Amino acid sequence: MTGNEIWGVVKILLKYLLPTLKIFGFTLLYSVPLGMIVALLKMCRFKPIKWLTSLYILIMRGTPLMLQVIVAYFAVPMLKRSTAMPGVLHRLLDAVNIQADSYLFNTVLVAFVLNYAAYFAEIFRGGIESIPKGQYEAAAALGFSKRQTFFRIILPQVIKRVVPASSNEVITLVKDTSLANVVAYAEITMKARQQMQNYSSLTPLFIAGAFYFVLATVLTVIFSFIEKKLDYYK
Amino acid sequence: MANISIKKMLAGTLAAMFMLTASACGNSDSSTASTAANNDTTSAAESTASADDTSSAADESAAATDDSLQKVLDSGKFVLGLDASFKPMGYTDENDEIVGFDIDCAEEVCKRLGVTLEKKGINWDTKEDTLDAGTIDCIWNGMSIDEKREERMNLSEPYMENSMVFVVPGDSTAEKMSDLADKTVAVQNGSTAQTLLEESAIGGSCKISPLATNVEALQQMDLGLVDAVYLDSVVAEYEIAEAGKDWRIFTDGSESEKYAIGFRKGDQALRDKVQETLSEMKADGTLAKISEKWFGKDVTIVK
Repeated sequence: MTGNEIWGVVKILLKYLLPTLKIFGFTLLYSVPLGMIVALLKMCRFKPIKWLTSLYILIMRGTPLMLQVIVAYFAVPMLKRSTAMPGVLHRLLDAVNIQADSYLFNTVLVAFVLNYAAYFAEIFRGGIESIPKGQYEAAAALGFSKRQTFFRIILPQVIKRVVPASSNEVITLVKDTSLANVVAYAEITMKARQQMQNYSSLTPLFIAGAFYFVLATVLTVIFSFIEKKLDYYK
Repeated sequence: MANISIKKMLAGTLAAMFMLTASACGNSDSSTASTAANNDTTSAAESTASADDTSSAADESAAATDDSLQKVLDSGKFVLGLDASFKPMGYTDENDEIVGFDIDCAEEVCKRLGVTLEKKGINWDTKEDTLDAGTIDCIWNGMSIDEKREERMNLSEPYMENSMVFVVPGDSTAEKMSDLADKTVAVQNGSTAQTLLEESAIGGSCKISPLATNVEALQQMDLGLVDAVYLDSVVAEYEIAEAGKDWRIFTDGSESEKYAIGFRKGDQALRDKVQETLSEMKADGTLAKISEKWFGKDVTIVK
């Protein structure tokens, strides 16, 4: 490929950087809080909730994300065609416009958020359980309520401890966005593959690789900055 | 094949999603996404259990009231599904536009129907399911007719002929299909080439390497990772000219096949209208003109 052609591919991929970052950003936005909730549910003393949460995490971590994206995408249309469903549900599903571009994005997002929440939940649970019992006892002795203990004493220490493990997930997430092309969500990898066909060359795929590499490098820098910022309680 | 596996996956994972939403719904803070999923999945178990009956029931009811053509005319758009990487039938060019022979034909059909053409990228591996799901109106991307596709889709009359060929490096000793009996042959995964090769005389003895695209297959052959590539002659001739390598084509043992447009099983009215429009285009010479633009001659076989 000539320099001009490579530049042409770079320009196309730049245009699809936004759809890639959209999945990345929204997944983080929803999966981190959801992960926190799931982590707390898994530590719930009411056993059935604990079991259900464990099952959810087992399934999300035990099946490929690519498969989950496919399921999320085909679930609504397939349920729509089923006649064994009550009319109320049918009316509800008919409100979903499966031809809209937002439908594609939303289904991809649902799969990504549910998947990543499961991973984050385990990281957060590990973080919470790593805090020594003495911290709770000291807080109780000082008259802190349960709520205060969690938000003012435990959580700041948990955040500090889960950052390195979370950075792993976040960097993996950037590269996992490429899995969205399994339902033809137009992002960097899909566009690179199309240009690969257009030029009969593997070069566009390497260009896409460079994009992910740059993104991962930026994230690495950001995380080392955050870790430095969180350098308290030494 | 694809539909069976997807149904199975759905049944399993829907059950999974059911569980997870059940656990998440205890908390009103969870994202709206999961609440929606919760509503969908309440009856997931029963609906997937009876998936087989319902799909046939849906077919019958669709045939009884076929509003497929009216729907397209009402919405003013005809959604064409393609994987946009089959050069020169339908592919993405250097300006990120979807172009090709099929696209030009579809544009002309839409012009005559008074609707706009919407080109929608799909995953080729799940094309039948995407069509059934209703996100697209047809599959029009140099799709060869085969039995399985005839079963799952309502195909148009064939509009073009194509044959399957082997491509080998210039210095290869292979000259006919039987020479490749103990060799590795690459094919595009999910293509008719793959099916034909598996069922051919050497299908049992040669090693078939299914790759995502024909370009990757040809690259692997160029690097010596595979001995030959089995693909559509339309693509092979185009790619060889493009690559400028001394690759050889041999057609020995290849079977002629035909390209058709795929519609949903129930969408008879839409299929007939498109077919009728194509015939008009053939009669007034428009189709020949489009064909000359892409292939230098009229290769269409529309009646």
